[in-house]
Amino acid sequence: MYPRQIGAGEPVKKALYLTAVTVVLLLWLLPLLAVLMTSIRPGSDIMMGNYWGWPSSFELVENYLGVFTQTPMGHYFFNSLVITIPSVLGVLCLSTLTGYVLSRYRFRGNILLFAVFVGGNFLPFQIMMIPVRNLTLALGIYNTYLALIVFHVAFQTGFATLFMRNFIAALPDELFEAARAEGASPLQTLIHVVVPLVRPALAALAILLFTFIWNDYFWAVVLSPSDSVKPVTAGLANLMGQYAASWDLVSAATIVISLPPVALFFFMQRHFVRGLTMGAVKG
Amino acid sequence: MHSLLHRHRGWLWPTLFLAPGVILFWVVIVASSAESLRISFFQWDGLGDMSWVGVDNYIALFHDPQFYTSLKNNIIWLVLFMAAPPLGLAIALLVNQQLRGLRLVKTLFFMPLVMSQVAVGVVFTWFYDPANGLLALVFRAMNATAPALLSDPQWVTVAVVIAGLWPQVSFCMILFMAGLNNLDDSQIEAARVDGARGFRMLYHVVLPQLRQVNFIAIAITVIGALRSFDMVSVMTGGGPFGSSSVLAYQMYEESIQSYRFGYGAAIAAVLFVIMALFIAWYLYRMLRIERGTA
Amino acid sequence: MAEVCHSITRRRLVQALGSGLLLSGLGVPALAASKELTIISDLDTPQYLVFRELAETFGQQSGISVTVNNLAHEANKTAIGNYLVADPPDICFWFSGQRMRQFVKLGLFSDISTLVERENYASVLGPLLDAVTVDGRQYGLPLGGLFWGLYYRADIFAQHGLTPPETFDDFYRTCNSAKAAGLIPVSMGTREQWPAAGWFDHLDLRINGLDRHMALMRGEMAYTDTALDAVFEQWAQMIHDDLFLHNGTSYGWQQAASFLGQGKAAMMDLGNFITTALSPEAVEQLRLIRFPMYDSAIGPFEDFATNSVHIPKRAQHPELAREFLAYFYQPEVLSRFVGALSGVPPRSDMSVGDDPLARTATQLLRNTQGTSQYFDRDTPPQMAEAGLKGFQQFTVYPDREAAIRQQLERVRQRAYAS
Repeated sequence: MYPRQIGAGEPVKKALYLTAVTVVLLLWLLPLLAVLMTSIRPGSDIMMGNYWGWPSSFELVENYLGVFTQTPMGHYFFNSLVITIPSVLGVLCLSTLTGYVLSRYRFRGNILLFAVFVGGNFLPFQIMMIPVRNLTLALGIYNTYLALIVFHVAFQTGFATLFMRNFIAALPDELFEAARAEGASPLQTLIHVVVPLVRPALAALAILLFTFIWNDYFWAVVLSPSDSVKPVTAGLANLMGQYAASWDLVSAATIVISLPPVALFFFMQRHFVRGLTMGAVKG
Repeated sequence: MHSLLHRHRGWLWPTLFLAPGVILFWVVIVASSAESLRISFFQWDGLGDMSWVGVDNYIALFHDPQFYTSLKNNIIWLVLFMAAPPLGLAIALLVNQQLRGLRLVKTLFFMPLVMSQVAVGVVFTWFYDPANGLLALVFRAMNATAPALLSDPQWVTVAVVIAGLWPQVSFCMILFMAGLNNLDDSQIEAARVDGARGFRMLYHVVLPQLRQVNFIAIAITVIGALRSFDMVSVMTGGGPFGSSSVLAYQMYEESIQSYRFGYGAAIAAVLFVIMALFIAWYLYRMLRIERGTA
Repeated sequence: MAEVCHSITRRRLVQALGSGLLLSGLGVPALAASKELTIISDLDTPQYLVFRELAETFGQQSGISVTVNNLAHEANKTAIGNYLVADPPDICFWFSGQRMRQFVKLGLFSDISTLVERENYASVLGPLLDAVTVDGRQYGLPLGGLFWGLYYRADIFAQHGLTPPETFDDFYRTCNSAKAAGLIPVSMGTREQWPAAGWFDHLDLRINGLDRHMALMRGEMAYTDTALDAVFEQWAQMIHDDLFLHNGTSYGWQQAASFLGQGKAAMMDLGNFITTALSPEAVEQLRLIRFPMYDSAIGPFEDFATNSVHIPKRAQHPELAREFLAYFYQPEVLSRFVGALSGVPPRSDMSVGDDPLARTATQLLRNTQGTSQYFDRDTPPQMAEAGLKGFQQFTVYPDREAAIRQQLERVRQRAYAS
C-alpha cells in the first residue's frame, strides 16, 4: 500500500492524522455545510441578511416539509426516479452487449464502431439540442419520460461501452476459449461467462450512470417543459426562479435532490471502487 | 480476420448484440451531431423556414468579439481544470488508509461529485455574494472589502472554474483511489527496502503504475472543461456582459435567446472541431496502449 | 458507415424504434384526448396559487379537467419556442407587443378576434387592445400590466428626511441626501441583465420622448444617432456620481430589491413584482412614484409592460380554451388574478381593489401620455439580447459608450434585416 499505512501501535500519529483529515474534510465541505445550515434557517433570517450567522431558530422540519408541501418537489423527485432507473438499466444492458462484441470479436469496422462510441460520447452534447428535440417530436415522445430516457440511454451507451469493452477485454482469454471448446453459443457465453464476471463493473457503472442521469440539467430543460415529467434538476432551477429570495427553501431542496446519489454512493462505495479498479482503471 | 464472421451462426449473434446499442447511438447521437453541422449553413430562427446562407454564419462568427471571449474562457477552463488530477491525487493519497471510520470520510469527499452542478452553482453563487457571501464575511473579518468576483470581467471565469473544480477534483480523487487500491505491493515493498520514501517513491514508483488512471483522469477533465455549461448558466448566465460565457453557453444563448439557430450551430461546429482534435489524440493513445499490451 | 445516415433509412429506423418504444407504454402522454384543458403558465407564486384555484373552479363548473403547469418565468422564455412547435398546451402565457407579434408572424398563436368581438372586449380595453393586435386581429388577451417606476420605503425616507423626487434636479438632491445618510441611492441588480435596460428606457422616454424611443425600438433609428448622446451622458453622469449599488452585476433583481427591504438602499426602478422579493412589513412601507421628469414639455411617457394569455395555433382543444378565456376574463375573476401581484387592471370596468401600490400605478398610468412595453419586449430577440448586454456593460464601463453603441448599431442592422 502507498502511502505507508499507520499501524495500530502509533496512537499519536493516528490522532494527528485523523485531525488533519477532519480539517481538510471540513474545509472541503464548507460550501455544503453552509447550505445545510441555511436549509434549517428560518426565512426571516434571510430577509434580515443573516445568511451565514447562527440561525435565530431551527426550522429543520418546517423547511424540509415545506419543500414537499409548498413546492412540487415531491413530484419532480418521482419523475427523476422514473427517468433515471430505466435509463440506467437500459444502458447497462446495451453496453454489456456492445462491450462484449467489441472486445471479443474481430471484424472489419470494429475499431471504427468503437471509436464512434467513444468520440460521440466526448462531444459537447449541447450541440445536439435542436436535432434531438426534432427527433423526439417526430417520434411523438417530446415532453414524456421516454424522450429523456431515450436520449440518456443513447448518449450514455457511448461511455458505458468504453467502460465495458475495456473491462471485458481484461478478462482472461482462457475462459472464452474454454466456453468455445465446450461448444457454447455466443448467447450462452454471454450469460454464463460474461455476465457473472462483469457484475462489479456493472455495479460501479450503475452508480456513475445514476449520478450522471439524475444530475442532468440541460436535457431536462430542453425536453421536458411541463411539470408532469420535469426531473429534480430542472425543478430546482424552477424553484430558484420562483423562490429566489427563499434561500432556506432552495437550500433544503438542494439537499433533498442530492440525497439519492449520495445514499447510493455511500452504500455501494465498496462495489464502486472495486468495479473501477477492475474496469476503467486497469483496462 | 473473418474467423468468427464467416460462419452463419458466427455473425448472427454478435450482430444482434451490437444492433440495439449501435442503432440507438447512431440515430440519436451521431446523426444529431451531423444534423447540427448541416444547420450551421442556414439562417434559421428555429421556428420558421430555413434559408441557405453558405458560410455566412462562420464569417460572422469570426468577426464576433463574443466568440473570442468565449474561446478564451474555454481555454481558461481547460488550463485551470488541469489542477483537478493532481488535487484529486493528493486527496486520494491523504485518505488511502485503512482505519475505522474512513469509509464515511471517503464518501464525504465524494459529495461534490454526486451533487448536481445546478446545486453546486447555487452554493458557490451564495459563497461569492459580495454583500452577504461567506467570502465577503471573511474579507470583512480582515477589514478588507470583498472582491465581487462574479461581476468582475477579469476574475469571473476563474471564480466559476473554481466552483467547477470542486466536483471535478472529487471525480479525479475517486479514480485515483481506485488506482491506489490496485498498486503492485511487491514493487513498493522492494522500493522501500531500497530506501525510497515520500515524493521519490511517488514519482518513481507509484506514478508510473498510475499512468492509465492518469490518462483517464486527464481525459475526463478535458471533456468536463470543454463541456462546461451548467455552472456558467446557473452562476452568471455568461455575464457580466458575456465575459464569462463559454462556447457551449454562447451557442445555447444565440440559439434559444436570440433565435439564431444557424449561428448557434456554427459555434457548435467550432466546438466540435476542438473536441475532435482531443478525441483524435485520445483514440490514438488508447489504441497505441492497446497494441502495446496486446 | 455514412449510408446509415441516409435519410430514408434513418427515418425508417426512427419509426421502427419509435413504434417499438411506444408499445412499451412509457411513451403514452400523461393525458389522453377528451374533455380536458392544459395550460402552461409562468407566474410568480402568489399569482400562480390564485390562478390554479380559478382554473379548478372553472373545471368544476364545466366538468373539464384542467391541468396547469407552472414554469419559472425565465424557464418559460426558453421553453416556449419548443412547446409551441412541438407540444402546445391549450393556453399559454406570454408577452404582448413585439414578442407576441414574432410568434404571430410564425403562425404559432390563434386568432381570437371572434371571441374578442363576441365578448366586446374592445370597449373595456381601450388602447391596451393594440398590444395584442396584429393587422386588425387579436391574438391574445392582455393581463395585469407591469408599471415601471421608482419604488422607495416611506419609513426609510421619513427616517432620513428624504423627499420623493419629481424632477431630475430633485432626483440628484435626494440621491445626495441618501448618500449622506449612508444609504445606497439606487439599487439595481443586473445579473439577469434586463434591469439596466429599464433605466435606459426611462432616460430615453424622458429625454427623447415616446416617438423617438419607439423609432429606436422599431429599428428606424441608429444607436449612434446624436439624439441618444444626452441619454448616455445623463446615465454616465449618474454612474460617475456613484448613485447605483456597487457590483450591481453580481446581484439578481431580487437581491437588489432586498437592499431596499433591509433599509440599505433608498430607491429602485422596477415593476410591481418587486413585492414578491420583500417581507410583508417592507411591502407595507413601499411607495411608488414615476421616474423623475427631465423636461416638463416631454411626457410623461412610461414603460408599461403587459403580459398576456394566448391560445397556441396547434392547441388540442381550441374551443375549450376560448371558453376558459371567456370565464377567466370576467372582471371579477380577472380582478382576483391581477390583484394577487398588485398589477394594473387591464379592463376599465374592473375595480382596482384596495392594494395601494396598484392604485398608485393605475393613477400614474392615467396621467401618462403614452407607453412603451420594455426594451426587451419592444425589440426583436437579437436586438434585445445585445441591448441588455450592452446596457449592462455600460453600467460598469460608461467610458466604453462609443464601442457599445457601435456594437448595438451593428446588431440593429442585422436584427431588423430579416
